[in-house]
Amino acid sequence: MLIVGEMKLSDIIHHDYTLVPVINRFDIQLGFGDNIIEEICKTKNINLGFFLTILNTFHDSQYFPKEYLKSFPATVLIRYLRKAHISYVDEKIPEIKGMILRLRKLSSGNKKTLDLISDFFEGYSSEFGTHIEREEKIVYPYVLKLENSLSNPGIDKPMLEEMEKYSISNYEQDHEDIEEKLFDLKNLLIKYLHAETDESRLFEEASYLLLRELFVLEKELREHSRIEDLILVPKVEEMEKLIKARS
Amino acid sequence: MAGVTNIILIESSFLLRSGIESLVQEIPGMLIIDVFDGSEKNLFEKIKKKKPDLVIINPDSLVSSFIGFISKLQDEPEIEIIGLLKIDCPENISSRFKHKLIVSENKHVLLDSLRKICGSDGPCKKNDQGPISKREIIVLKEVVKGLTNQEVADKLFISIHTVMTHRKNITKKLGIKTVSGLMVYSLMNNIVDIKEMG
Repeated sequence: MLIVGEMKLSDIIHHDYTLVPVINRFDIQLGFGDNIIEEICKTKNINLGFFLTILNTFHDSQYFPKEYLKSFPATVLIRYLRKAHISYVDEKIPEIKGMILRLRKLSSGNKKTLDLISDFFEGYSSEFGTHIEREEKIVYPYVLKLENSLSNPGIDKPMLEEMEKYSISNYEQDHEDIEEKLFDLKNLLIKYLHAETDESRLFEEASYLLLRELFVLEKELREHSRIEDLILVPKVEEMEKLIKARS
Repeated sequence: MAGVTNIILIESSFLLRSGIESLVQEIPGMLIIDVFDGSEKNLFEKIKKKKPDLVIINPDSLVSSFIGFISKLQDEPEIEIIGLLKIDCPENISSRFKHKLIVSENKHVLLDSLRKICGSDGPCKKNDQGPISKREIIVLKEVVKGLTNQEVADKLFISIHTVMTHRKNITKKLGIKTVSGLMVYSLMNNIVDIKEMG
């Protein structure tokens, strides 16, 4: 489905409910009645082109965001990415930590194993934090500086010098190890968790909830990095080109 | 599911791409990790970096020289190649592929050929069946203690190349990629003791 401004947001959520956390990041909560996207964006003061780009990229892994790329400023994008980070760090990760602890509590014969899994996830979450911090402290400020520089006419010498030292092409995507850890965690649960011990029905249920949450997180992060690769990087490359062209 | 067969698809037509994707989804253990439309710059390098087990390629999608590209791919011993071909594909092109999928075939024929190429006795799954061997366990023990490949090689009097092969097979068999994941596995299965860990 290609999401466009004349569609009702309610229809879209019926079609793909995993978009709910995404619209939440735009301060849209459930209960939006029959309003179409255009109207909602207008009342909430949301950049329509940007909203559609994010929804489509998230919804359809084949979607290639091109048409609206120029229609919104980088500030808007960075604001979105930061909100997403907050929701991972403050909500998703603690939720999963809690689920592992609950599983440990319910377990009769796997407490030691779950301690190991809990430590493993701690390692994952601190690595994840470091990754996010680098984006927030290095990449995003750089992007905002570029945009600021573009809004003023003339040649920006200091900016050009900074671009000599750093450019968005240095922005290595080191999501890999983080993705692999999440994959490993899923496999530890699926293949090896309680191979030889009896556990209660509640334990089974809690394992399923944990596993489901890991799949959800995995999907979220995959779409998040697609947004960075397909929207942030090209957008910044374009800005770098414009600044260089002035000199 | 033992190891996962990672696939890269090179196909410019959206309809064919979606078709192949839905086909692959029906085979557990096969995963499309990336899709290219054939017009990308440095396509070979991009593919190599992703370390796929299998590349499915439609020669019609390639913008650059087909022969050069295919021979480079064929020089990679870890990668199997499948040609996605039309029934009337000229002999000089189709003969370049050991494995073929003919686009006009019906679903079950296609599924069958894919399974034969990548199934349990196909070339893609040479080393990832069964439990890990005694030798692999010895290597695993050292790896989870935090030793580098070189250190493991020196300690066990084997070449670094052998260590890397063992590691690759361990990861494929267990489905665990990171050292810290392997550590959890080893502790869970009493392969190492917590006291042995640094």
